[in-house]
Amino acid sequence: MGRTLTIFKKEFIDVIRDRRTILTMVVLPLLFVPVILTLTLKVTLRQREKADLETVNIAFIGEEYAPRLHQAVEADSQLVIKLGVAEADVEALIRADSLDGAIVVPPDFPDRVAADEQASIGIYYRSSSSFDVAERRLRGVIDDYDEEIVDGRIRRLQLDPDLFDAIAVQENDVATLQEVLGQTIGGFLPYMFVIFMFTGAMYAGIDLSAGEKERGTLETLLSSPASRLEIVLGKFFVVALVGIASALLSMVGLYLGVRMGLEDIPQEAFDVISDILNVKVIAMIATLLLPLAAFFSAMILALAIQAKSFKQAQSTLTPLSLVVILPVLFGLLPGIELNTKTALIPILNVSLATKDVISGTIEPLHLVLSYISLFVLAGASIWFCVVWFSREETLFRS
Amino acid sequence: MIRVDNLRKDFKVSRKTRKELGSGAPIGKTLTALDGISFECKPGRVFGLLGPNGAGKTTALRLIATMLKPTSGTITVAGVDATREPQRVREAIGFMTGNTGLYDRLTVTEMVRYQADLHRMDPVWFEERRRALFAALDMEAFADRRIARLSSGMRQKVSIVRTIIHDPAVVVFDEPTASLDVMTSRGIVNLIRQCRDEGKTVLFSTHIMGEVQLLCDDIAILHNGKLFFYGSKEEFEGQMTHRTYEDEFIHLVGEA
Repeated sequence: MGRTLTIFKKEFIDVIRDRRTILTMVVLPLLFVPVILTLTLKVTLRQREKADLETVNIAFIGEEYAPRLHQAVEADSQLVIKLGVAEADVEALIRADSLDGAIVVPPDFPDRVAADEQASIGIYYRSSSSFDVAERRLRGVIDDYDEEIVDGRIRRLQLDPDLFDAIAVQENDVATLQEVLGQTIGGFLPYMFVIFMFTGAMYAGIDLSAGEKERGTLETLLSSPASRLEIVLGKFFVVALVGIASALLSMVGLYLGVRMGLEDIPQEAFDVISDILNVKVIAMIATLLLPLAAFFSAMILALAIQAKSFKQAQSTLTPLSLVVILPVLFGLLPGIELNTKTALIPILNVSLATKDVISGTIEPLHLVLSYISLFVLAGASIWFCVVWFSREETLFRS
Repeated sequence: MIRVDNLRKDFKVSRKTRKELGSGAPIGKTLTALDGISFECKPGRVFGLLGPNGAGKTTALRLIATMLKPTSGTITVAGVDATREPQRVREAIGFMTGNTGLYDRLTVTEMVRYQADLHRMDPVWFEERRRALFAALDMEAFADRRIARLSSGMRQKVSIVRTIIHDPAVVVFDEPTASLDVMTSRGIVNLIRQCRDEGKTVLFSTHIMGEVQLLCDDIAILHNGKLFFYGSKEEFEGQMTHRTYEDEFIHLVGEA
């Protein structure tokens, strides 16, 4: 263990003095995540606010058949009626952004309304435009008008309004706020920490294996009394530590990003989140991160040591970062839950278990199965890594 | 003392390597880098392993330093069997390559201490050795500087100290002066002499005949994995048919 610790200390110093590793381990998660998140949230909110305040230009065709509706549209300060538009030109004008939407009232509309029949009104809009403001406004004003007509009919026919509301649904959602937040935050967290853990560990792992080979220092280490196992373990612990640090810093970055991006978020919501993220939950998530980091680190080292250079290792491992994210994305699909089968699938089990841990609905058996699966895989990866580090063809490829 | 008996080393040649080598690829599935060589390096003497590029010099030194395992044959270093107890062999060796093998992001002291820690040196002894070696090589002024910021001469000094900090009984140099200027090479030559005078076993590989003439007590000439000559410097000079070491070397290798 003495030489493993010596190698660990040296590799740790080496890694934290490497700009590339610091960039992926600290700068990206701690600065990039909050900045991107803040910008995205702020821009989205601003655009939504802007869209809500924006006036919508519409054409009203057939106003003579629905004068009340025309009046209501005119009374809405955010709807502006453009005059002189023919029905045949509506589509083209909306596509050309000269118009946001249109209401088309057919000639039989008043007769059908008078006969207590269902009448139709056509609306035109472009669903691909941001926030679907035109559609929402048009539907809003027509729904109000529809309600007005129905209320008139009910009154005229002296009917009970409850006649049309046969069932009043009384909603009783028994999910706690913790469960609801667990499913949303818990789904997103693994996505973040898997990406950052893998990327952070990847640069450190490449630097300490293929990078060392390329710089010609591996021979110095191999000629020292350290055994291959001690060398692998010394490097492995540093890579795992960098991976865990990257993952944890990405969480901090995420928290800072939400804090900075959503100033209006009520303090109570943060209090709930703080309650959820108590020491026990954090400790449980950390115990899931440890074997995951071990698996990633050993896999990265084993693959990177086979490359002749940093660049070659990077081109092998970069596509792998997309592969490892797939199980996390799979875990976000509806209906995919942690059970005795999914608990055995690495990465997916971390993703699902994180959700359940945060929700407070984790089954001890599923958690134990997840640990077993991850630790077996991590152990196998380390063994595999030692085997590769002991192969002459791997170490002295040239 | 280093004793090498009937040492053979075969490398498997992958399909990829075969493609890369093209017409120069070996016929079989293996490449014989060393073919049954035997020699002995004695304490207090400098042993020169000579040979052109690709002769098998580096492979021989890597086998002695237990970085590679022999296909057959035995190696004994300081009385320890290299195949059975590789770790003990590495404890007794100081290994230095031509490219210095230093970590750019460490400081000079950190680099030397790392090597000492890997050899589990007693901290007090380490400090004594470090002070003495740094003073002898005039290194105190840049002891806390990162290696990346050193000149090639300074780097070579660090490499020397790293190699001998643990006071090894056997010192192995793999083409230590291959890419160095005259001034820096002189430092290496002095180190080799110093190690010999201290009674250490010194083995170094080179293809620079001037160094051989200047330093070696014993010589082995390696070509295509086989020994063409093995004996003392005097024996080598006694059988020379050409005027200079270089001419004789070219003649021997050319004949092969």
